[in-house]
Amino acid sequence: MTGIHADIDALKGLHDALVRYRHAQRDVTARGEDRLTATRASLEAKASRLRAQLELGQAEYTACQDRAAQADPDDPVDCSGYARAVQQNSERLEQIRLWQQRIDAEAGEFSGIIGRFADLLENDLPRMEEHLVAIIASLEAARRVRAPVSGP
Amino acid sequence: MTARPDQDGDRQLRLLGDAWDKAAEHWRDGPARQFGDGQLTPLLQESRTYLEALRKLMDTLEAADRETEG
Repeated sequence: MTGIHADIDALKGLHDALVRYRHAQRDVTARGEDRLTATRASLEAKASRLRAQLELGQAEYTACQDRAAQADPDDPVDCSGYARAVQQNSERLEQIRLWQQRIDAEAGEFSGIIGRFADLLENDLPRMEEHLVAIIASLEAARRVRAPVSGP
Repeated sequence: MTARPDQDGDRQLRLLGDAWDKAAEHWRDGPARQFGDGQLTPLLQESRTYLEALRKLMDTLEAADRETEG
């Protein structure tokens, strides 16, 4: 019996695989979007923290420069540590801004591709599954018609 | 540790390819060829295009997270 209906069994297996594929790839696309959202949020949080640190650092640096201007020339005030901190935070903030720009650019390119793929998952794949179901039903009907009549 | 979505997508693509290979061993008539050439091949191709773009984007996101740590 296995050999006679092997094609139908194989088609049923393919149909099941297509259904699983549709669900699994939907999950993949959702996780991809979640990952993008999470990284964008993380970068924005880092940028926000750095902006606050930079603002504070600049205020401390300005205050130090004021103290340095009024200091005794024999006892100078060193503000280089504040200057370094401001410089480092500025560079890190710029680095984050560049990553944000790059991610926006790549996400823009990606949106067209994911749009086509999502459309395929939502529309084309269900049609393929229905097509296979129709082929399976047709093969099963043909086998019933051709089945030998046994009897007395 | 959870696998990256692009890696899971690749695995699903391989599973579908395997299922088609298995079905094609027993289903070899005209409708089979039409289904394979007209529907399944474009699906696999579009899936590869999507997964390649997803892989590139995930690489960028990982690099952004890594490079902006600390």
